[in-house]
Amino acid sequence: MRILLIEDERQIREPLAQQLQKQNLTVDIAIDGREGLYLGLEQPYDVAIIDLGLPKLSGIEVIQKLREESKDFPILILTARGRWQDKVEGLEAGADDYLVKPFHFEELLARVNALARRASGWASATLQCGPITLQPTSQEVTNDDTPIELTAYEYRLLHYMMLHAGEVVSKTELTEHIYEQDYDRDSNVIEVFIKRLRTKLDPDKTLNPIETLRGRGYRFTLARVH
Amino acid sequence: MFIKQLSFRNRLFFAASLVLIAFLGLSAISLNNAFQISADKAQQKRLQNYVYSILSAVEFRSNGLVDMPAKLPEPEFSIPNSGLYAQISRNHHVIWQSSSTLGRFLGLPGQLEVEVDGVSNEQISIVEIADEGQFITLTYGFIWESDFGQEFNYTINIAEALSSIEQEKTGFQRSLWYWLGGTGLMLLIAQAFILRWSLRPLDDVANDLNAIKSGDKKRLSKDYPAELNQLTQNINILLDHEYSRRERYKNSLADLAHSLKTPLAVLRGEFDNHTQSSELRLTAHEQLDRISDLVDYQLQRASTEGQSSLQAPVSLGDVISKILKSLDKVYLSKNVQYQFEIRRDIFVHADEGDMYELFGNLLDNAYKYCHNQVNIMIQWKADFLEIIIDDNGNGIPQEDRDTIIKRGKRIDSQVEGHGLGLAIASDIVNAYQGSLHLKDSPIGGARFIIQLAKS
Repeated sequence: MRILLIEDERQIREPLAQQLQKQNLTVDIAIDGREGLYLGLEQPYDVAIIDLGLPKLSGIEVIQKLREESKDFPILILTARGRWQDKVEGLEAGADDYLVKPFHFEELLARVNALARRASGWASATLQCGPITLQPTSQEVTNDDTPIELTAYEYRLLHYMMLHAGEVVSKTELTEHIYEQDYDRDSNVIEVFIKRLRTKLDPDKTLNPIETLRGRGYRFTLARVH
Repeated sequence: MFIKQLSFRNRLFFAASLVLIAFLGLSAISLNNAFQISADKAQQKRLQNYVYSILSAVEFRSNGLVDMPAKLPEPEFSIPNSGLYAQISRNHHVIWQSSSTLGRFLGLPGQLEVEVDGVSNEQISIVEIADEGQFITLTYGFIWESDFGQEFNYTINIAEALSSIEQEKTGFQRSLWYWLGGTGLMLLIAQAFILRWSLRPLDDVANDLNAIKSGDKKRLSKDYPAELNQLTQNINILLDHEYSRRERYKNSLADLAHSLKTPLAVLRGEFDNHTQSSELRLTAHEQLDRISDLVDYQLQRASTEGQSSLQAPVSLGDVISKILKSLDKVYLSKNVQYQFEIRRDIFVHADEGDMYELFGNLLDNAYKYCHNQVNIMIQWKADFLEIIIDDNGNGIPQEDRDTIIKRGKRIDSQVEGHGLGLAIASDIVNAYQGSLHLKDSPIGGARFIIQLAKS
């Protein structure tokens, strides 16, 4: 899952980015409104976290412009301004949720996960497809209660595919959503990851959780259990 | 006291009316006097002219009698009962009468003594003539010396009816009063209009001030007469100053609060990332939360505007709808159903930010604790506005109700900001001289009743 974090305060931005990365989330950073808007318009994101008091372009303006350009990924406002008038203004501009500083990281993470889930049609906090369960907050993956050990990128890949379970996901889309902006991408790596995921999730080759659609991408086949 | 309370318009109207009446009255009197005097003078002159014309017509005989031509210069002397009569008498005997007298004896003043120096003498008097009313007469005494050096004393009496002269005078007076009265009335009407028109700017200022009071306007308009502009400009400056002072105060408070928030957020991040001791981390979190809540709470308290008549009306329907829309977004997965009952729209004179804060906190609380239903009802009671917010959550135990409203004490420390929001709401309600009550909701959970005084 790829996240856009727009925050000008270095002392908040960097620890927050690190914590998010620790959660196996792909994080792109922007330090002002203009850079944030550029990234938001150019890159595919699953969730954006936007501070309202930004230099160059205010958070509200960034949100409005993103929505004008029909970027519909969920947006979480992070603001020191906790007055309701500010909150309503932000939500009216097109944001989906807000969090007032100072915040608990756990709360931020829960909201980010909830927004991502909501956007891809999941109702519960835990993603479950067939016997496979993924817990975004603890990053635990189980198959019929048997824990499965995954590397960071395998986890990211599975998280994204399960968020979009049932949909066709192209290789490019996968690359874009699991790698940071400047990362040297190679779609062959995705194939390798998919192959490894198949083995780890389905050692007996009975489930066939990920199907390959030639020339189009992949699909997580197991039905969502809400 | 009464005089002091008189309006400008009445003062000016009364004063100007008095001056006008006095002026018109005095001019009527003096015009009338002048006319009387000149009419009297003209009459004397006329009577004298009659005397002279008779003198020039008469022929004195040496026996003291007189001959008079049949036709006199003034035809009135020949017309019977014309009201203009003449007679000549000598030694108290009438020796000639004009034909207009028809031979009646007029009883005019008799012989007038000629003064010692031999100059003729004259006298004006009013006489009553039977059946014909009052006459003004000029009695003119003179001496005629015959060719033989004999002196004869004569008296000429000219009598002219007073009625015609009085008619003339009353006619003049009547038209004088008509004209002056008419002029006076027109001046009064014109004055009333002028006063109305020239004092209208004062009414405009009053209306403008009312509009500011009711919040329909922010400042006084600029098109006033020069005399008032000084005043209205000063009022505007005062209003602007007050507004900017309030804004500056609010902004600097908000800035202070927000600049405190970032270091708090940084500290929290640092504790999360680096503190090995979970106990220390817990304590730090707790204290940071408290500081943050205190900042929020005190900021809210300090920036609550409270009731002031200089506030624009805020549409409650608008504010609450916007908050509900926002909350629907935030609590999307909870799928809360709401019913919002409001008759037409209701406006209150309050700070918009305060209203957002009040209903934001109360509705957020309702969304947070309801199962899936929130009802809002706003209605005017006799002299206050009542807002009821119901939720179908678990409700709030009786024993906790007072503390939750009064001191914003948290009943559930697990949920962030619970008590704080309600404490803020309660403070705002107090600032607007309203009341906040907690009851059981008919749909199961808590019912918050807010009553705001009619502003």
